[in-house]
Amino acid sequence: MSRKRFHGLKRIIPRIRMTWNKYNLYNLSRLPSPNPKGTYFQQKWKAKAATRGYHGEQIREKQWQRMFTSRLNAVVPMDHRYLGENDGSELAAGRGSGLDRKPDWGDDKKPKSKLQTPYMHMTYAPTERRLDVAIFRSLFASSARQARQFVTHGHVTVNGKKMPYPGYLLNPGDMFHVEPESVLFATGQTKDKEQVKTGRELKRARRVANTRRAERRTAKREKALQAIANKKVAAELAAEPTPKAPRPVMVDETEARKQRKADLQELVKQVKAILENKKAPPAAKRKQDLREINREIKGTMSVLNRKPVSEIEGSIDVLTSRLTHLYPSNPFARIGKNAKSKSKPASEIAKETQSSTPEYTAEEKQKMREAVVTSRENPVDESKPYATPWTPRPYMSAFAFIPRYLEVNHKICSAVYLRHPVARPGLAEVPTPFSAEQMQLAFNWYLRRR
Amino acid sequence: MPPSLRLPSVLSSTPCGAHQLCRSTGQSSRPFSTTLRHDHRVTRARRGLFRWLSLQGENFRNPLSGSTNYLGAYDNRSGVLRRVQEAELRNTLERQNGEAKPEKTGEQSAEEKSKIPPEEPRDRVPFPQNKSFLSQAVLSEELREEIWSRVMKEGQSVREVSVTLRVEMSRVGAVVRLKEVEKEWKRIGKPLARPYAQAVMSMLPQTPFDPSKPDAHGSHESINDLPVHASTGQQIFHPTSESRHFTRLDAAKVFNKRLLPADDRIPHPELVIQHRERVIDGLTVEERKERAELRAAEAEEKRERIAAKQAAAEARVKKIDSGRWEFRFTPINADDAGKDGRGHRGIGWRYGVPLYDRSRGQIKIPKSVG
Repeated sequence: MSRKRFHGLKRIIPRIRMTWNKYNLYNLSRLPSPNPKGTYFQQKWKAKAATRGYHGEQIREKQWQRMFTSRLNAVVPMDHRYLGENDGSELAAGRGSGLDRKPDWGDDKKPKSKLQTPYMHMTYAPTERRLDVAIFRSLFASSARQARQFVTHGHVTVNGKKMPYPGYLLNPGDMFHVEPESVLFATGQTKDKEQVKTGRELKRARRVANTRRAERRTAKREKALQAIANKKVAAELAAEPTPKAPRPVMVDETEARKQRKADLQELVKQVKAILENKKAPPAAKRKQDLREINREIKGTMSVLNRKPVSEIEGSIDVLTSRLTHLYPSNPFARIGKNAKSKSKPASEIAKETQSSTPEYTAEEKQKMREAVVTSRENPVDESKPYATPWTPRPYMSAFAFIPRYLEVNHKICSAVYLRHPVARPGLAEVPTPFSAEQMQLAFNWYLRRR
Repeated sequence: MPPSLRLPSVLSSTPCGAHQLCRSTGQSSRPFSTTLRHDHRVTRARRGLFRWLSLQGENFRNPLSGSTNYLGAYDNRSGVLRRVQEAELRNTLERQNGEAKPEKTGEQSAEEKSKIPPEEPRDRVPFPQNKSFLSQAVLSEELREEIWSRVMKEGQSVREVSVTLRVEMSRVGAVVRLKEVEKEWKRIGKPLARPYAQAVMSMLPQTPFDPSKPDAHGSHESINDLPVHASTGQQIFHPTSESRHFTRLDAAKVFNKRLLPADDRIPHPELVIQHRERVIDGLTVEERKERAELRAAEAEEKRERIAAKQAAAEARVKKIDSGRWEFRFTPINADDAGKDGRGHRGIGWRYGVPLYDRSRGQIKIPKSVG
């Protein structure tokens, strides 16, 4: 079964989502004004479905129902001069003496005051408290779902502590921070195919270089350890005088076979010493090689009495040479380190141009300096998951706004949740694409008695 | 982005009976599949989308330099900025009315044509259906720096800065906190997301601040917001005598016995008092200063009392640091559970009292982060 479309084009009344997608922008542009058709229940149902498609679409319905409250926050801006000059009695003064004004019963000729408090737009204010929604509102993610992913993937901290729960309800004064790399990825232009390819190659090259460096380091360490082990073995050998280095031609064949057996046992001892070294355990690959050598030693041991002595001697020589060859530092490992920075960063190019062309005015110099600084801050780096130099993703500007209940510092990708969103005369702080009528219908749907 | 090359005219011209087969053989990675490829079918809806994106939608692809760029600022039919349309209309009207001086307008128009008229509040509507949501201005970089320097360098109180710069107190605090983090990052050499910040700030309306003229700074937001109290939501018919001097204080008492009047519930009550002393009472500067000092001393005393209380509560908790954890022991009273063992302040599990910790619908994620 195919997945249902998140940004559909088919519906006559399209679903608006919390994203910066171009489909969403198109749907927003063709969103018709609500047409009161059908029964009251039907109208409420439709309004609920449309508004829930935007507000907390990622939240389960039951969860939202638990969050919903009929208490809607509002404020009234007060003028301190008025409060200082009047104590409130002026509103009642002269009542009944002919001083009271005629009440306004909705005169059609007069335009209605625009400064009504849009309480109904505050219906979904509780969802704005959620961490994922707040991240989306701070312009750190291109959709609420992406913000949610950032949270669950551990890229978000609240008050300096990792917060893996997207449903965490922010308290006034909470500071949240998103990894700048994630933010740049979410808000930056996407790479095209070739950039992806070059980035992948670059990353692969880096990985190879890293593993080589690590190998070199372990090899060095093991070499030192082997020297220690060799010293130990040499000391042991010195203690029991069994000559090994000069291999005298044995007259007696059984004696020769015994000697070879001792050699093999010594080899096993060496391998064991390296394998069981706990201070610097050999790398996995090295371990495999060592085990292979061990197996071959055992194989040789098993055929010790069946094969001619000369053949066994040859195999022992091969094994010892292999064991000694495992450790010398690889002279080819250093290649590729200098070939890493092939693409010159833009800053260097800018510098070159600056140095090569003399005689500039102060203004031009200043501009050039700025250009150098920006290119240093915004370099070309194919290994990043977004197109470099960083540029905002298309259609972002149509969705770029920051509600007043958040204070955002984009340089450090952090924001503070100042207070819960409120409505004030003429303005509501909850960003919603729907009209007041639709919000009222949705609000009525969620009241307990409908 | 225009639709990929799968033109219906080309498809219909191919002399192939199995239409679907032909369609899928083109660029598909599965050349023998006969399944309809819904995702790439060019429907009328998709054509409409791409038509819109290539005409009206082209405005939104990149940010508009020097202005915000919201859906509500454009005429959706023509895809032209409303303010530009109106300016043109005004120009043509002027030209029709007074054709005596056409050469002057001709000179100006060359410069003005490239410039778009300044935006108005109605151009800051991101959602055309919802006129009561505006993209409100954010603090500009200079203003943030000024707030930080006033609080951290000059040592002004948050309240003072809030009044002089017309920024909410909580916002002042947040700006200082964020700035401190930013400076710390700069100090330790952690890279800032500067290109991103610049791009975002260019898309948002801002409250400017000119450091050379700090007194001419306008207001960022209203700083004396009175929260609407739940108990004032009701309409009350309260009969009193006509001669009674019925003030805000009395009205608050009628709504709720414990409700304070608006003068005490706003964030900056000191502004009201200062205005009253200056204008109504007509006090001299010295007297006002004296009273202000008295009030400040009172507030300081209150603050110290609260701090002392908090310190005492803190001291009651016995702390044992084990290197990895800090264990905190709070003295409890077993009698808090009450006679029936069901008192809400009782500690621990008690027989017969249900524990809802593990039941459905209980919030198990943290409610606050310290």
